[in-house]
Amino acid sequence: MDTLLQILFNGLSVGAVYALFALGYTLVFSVLGVINFAQGAVFTLGAYFTYLLIGGAVGANGLLAGLALPFALPFWLALPLAGLAAALVSLLVEAVAFRPLRRRRAEPLLYLITSLGAGVILVNLIQLLMGAEGYSLPADSLGALPVALNLGGAQVRTVQLVLLGVSALVLIGLTLWLEGSRGGKALQAVSEDATTARLLGIDSDGMILLSFAVSGFLAGISGGLVGLSISITGPYFGIGFGLKALGVLVLGGLGSVPGAVLAGLIIGLAEALVPSELSGYKDAVAFAFLFAVLLLRPQGLLGRPQVTKV
Amino acid sequence: MHHSLLGRGWLVASLYALLCGCTSTDKESAALNSKDGLPIGAVIALTGNSSVVGQDQRIGLELARDQFKDEEPKVRLLLEDGGSDEQTATNAFRALIHGGAVALIGPSLSQQAFAVNPLADRAGVPVVGPSNTAVGIPEIGDFVARVSAPVSLVAPLSIQAALKQNPAIKRAAVFFSHDDAYSTSESKIFQQALVARGLQPITVQRTNVSDTDFQNQVTATLRLKPDLIVISALPNDGGNLVRQIRELGYGGLIVVGNGMNTPNIYPICQKYCDGLLIAQAYSAEARSASNEAFLAAYRKARGGAIPPQFTAQSYTAYQVVVEALRKLHADLPAGQILSALPTRELRQRLNAAILGGSYDTPLGPIRFTPEGEVIQNNFYVAQVRMNPDGRSGRFQLLP
Repeated sequence: MDTLLQILFNGLSVGAVYALFALGYTLVFSVLGVINFAQGAVFTLGAYFTYLLIGGAVGANGLLAGLALPFALPFWLALPLAGLAAALVSLLVEAVAFRPLRRRRAEPLLYLITSLGAGVILVNLIQLLMGAEGYSLPADSLGALPVALNLGGAQVRTVQLVLLGVSALVLIGLTLWLEGSRGGKALQAVSEDATTARLLGIDSDGMILLSFAVSGFLAGISGGLVGLSISITGPYFGIGFGLKALGVLVLGGLGSVPGAVLAGLIIGLAEALVPSELSGYKDAVAFAFLFAVLLLRPQGLLGRPQVTKV
Repeated sequence: MHHSLLGRGWLVASLYALLCGCTSTDKESAALNSKDGLPIGAVIALTGNSSVVGQDQRIGLELARDQFKDEEPKVRLLLEDGGSDEQTATNAFRALIHGGAVALIGPSLSQQAFAVNPLADRAGVPVVGPSNTAVGIPEIGDFVARVSAPVSLVAPLSIQAALKQNPAIKRAAVFFSHDDAYSTSESKIFQQALVARGLQPITVQRTNVSDTDFQNQVTATLRLKPDLIVISALPNDGGNLVRQIRELGYGGLIVVGNGMNTPNIYPICQKYCDGLLIAQAYSAEARSASNEAFLAAYRKARGGAIPPQFTAQSYTAYQVVVEALRKLHADLPAGQILSALPTRELRQRLNAAILGGSYDTPLGPIRFTPEGEVIQNNFYVAQVRMNPDGRSGRFQLLP
C-alpha cells in the first residue's frame, strides 16, 4: 500500500508539471495551429528568473559572473514574478518568430523553424550570461517547512507537495478563467474559428498575444517549480521537459486543455510505474505508451477527430 | 521591394559567410608554414549537458596557452566546441583535422571519444584525451593517448576510503548513467571493487545523463536500507541525484565518481554535497614546481580559487603536446623548422614524441605506455566539505 502511495505521489507531482507546461503549448496551438518550440527555453528562463529573484548569484563562468539582484524575494513572490517575466519573453518570441511570418501568411512549417531558432538563441544567451553550471534554489526556499514528510508510509519531499499544490491551483485558475471570463471565452472563440471571431468583433491579434503571454507565464511557473524541486541543471535542462510536454500535448489531443491535464498526469504516473531498476528506460516507456495510444486514437485522448470536407 | 532587397541581403550575407568559411579553412592549412604558430586543436564540451566540464577545461587550456606562449616552436590554440554529443564532437574533430591541426586535445567525454578518436587515428593525428577515463580509450588506436588516469585505477580508492571511515558497511547501492560510456565503465569498476570486499550491491539503478527526477529510484533504493551509495554520473545529474537522496532522508556515506570531480557540483547539491567521497587524479595540495606554477596562474586568473581536476588535466594535455613539440624542435638539424615538414610526417613524429616523453605536470610526473595509457603515480581521495553558506566548499584530502 505504501509503495502504491509512493508511486502515486511521485507520478502526480511530476505529471502536474508536465500538464502545466503542456498547457502553454496547447494554448498557442489552439489559437495559431502551430507548436511553439521556443517554449522549452522560456521554461528554462522561468527557472533562472526565479533563482535570481530569490537572491541567487550568477556563478563564475557567465558574463554576469557574481551578479546578484540587490534584493531577495521569498519563493512565493518570486515564482509569479518569474512567470510574468517569462510571459514578456514569450511575447518577444511572438513578435520576432511568429508575427512576421503570420503577416506573410507563411507555411506552418516555417513557424516551427523560427520558434526553434528563437529557442536555441535564448538557451545560448542564458549560457553566455549565466554560464553552463547548474544552480539550485536554496534548500530553505520553503521557509520553515520540513524537507520531507512521511505520508502513510510514503517518503515524500515537501517540494513535491508544493509542486502538486501550486500546479493544481494554477490549473484550476486557468480553467475558471477560460470558462468564466470574457477574455477566456474570446480566446476560445479565436481558437475555434479566428475569422468568425474577428467578424464578431473579437480582437484576434490581441488574443494571440494573450495566448503567448499566458503560455509564457505557465512555462515560467513550471520552470520555477522544477528548479525548486530538482535544481536548474544548466541552460539545456528545459529541452527534456519540452519534449515530454510535447508528448503530453499530442497524447491529450492537440489543442485540448482538459486533454493536456489528463495526459500530463498519465505520463507522470506511467513513468512512476516503471520499476526503479528500469527507470533508465522510463522515457522509452512513456513514449511507447504514447505511441500505443495514438495508434488506437490518433486524435489523442480528448482531441476531436479531424473531419475533412470533400 | 523592401522584402526583395532584404532577401538579397540575406543571400549576399550567406554567400559571404560561406566564402569566409572557405577562406578560413584554407588559411588553417597554410598556417603550418606561416609564423602564426603550429595549430593545436582542442575539442571540449562548451555547450550541452556536459558544458560544465568543458568550462573547467577551457580555463586549463587557456592558462596553459598563456603559460607556454614563449616556448619554441610557436603554437596556437584552436578551440572548438564539441558539444555534449558525438555528432558535434565529430564535426569539430573533422574541421580541425582538415584544418591542419598538428595534434588534438579532447573530447571531453569518453562517450564522444569512442566516436571521434577513430577519425583522428585514421587521419594520423595525435589525440590527447584530457578527461576520458573509460576502459578502452587508448586501445582505440596508435595515435590516441590520454592524461586522465583510467577509472580502473582511481575509482576503487574511494570505496576503500568509505570502508575505512565505516567498516560496518554491509549494504551498498549503485547508481550510474547507463547512456554514458564513462559512467557505465566506472560503475563496473565500482561494482567489482565492492564485490572484491565482500559487498554484493543490493541494487543497481540505471539513470540517464539528461535525467532530473530520481525520486522513484531513490525511494525504491532507500526502502532497501543501504549504508553506502555509490554514484557514477556527470556533475549535473549526479549533483541533483545527491540532493534528492539526502532530501529523502539518507544519512550514510556516498561515494561519487570522477565525473563529479568539480566544484561545479556545489551550486547543485549545495549543503547536501557535504561528506561526498571522491578519488582524484589531481590535488591542489601536491607540491611540485609544475603544480605551483599552475596554481599561481589559476589563482591569478580566478581570484584565489582552487583549481578543479578537469582544469589541471586539460592544462596537462596542452603541456604534453607543447613539450613534445619542443623536443621535436630541439632534435631538428640546424636550419630546419618543424612547420616545413609535411603535415603527415610532423603528426607522426609528434605522436612518437608524445608517447616517448616524460613530463613534470600539475598531476605529478607522468609518461605513457606504448599504447598511450597514462602512467601516473599520485592519486588521492578527498571528501567534500561545504562551508556554512551551503554554496561553497572544498575537496579535503583524506590521509
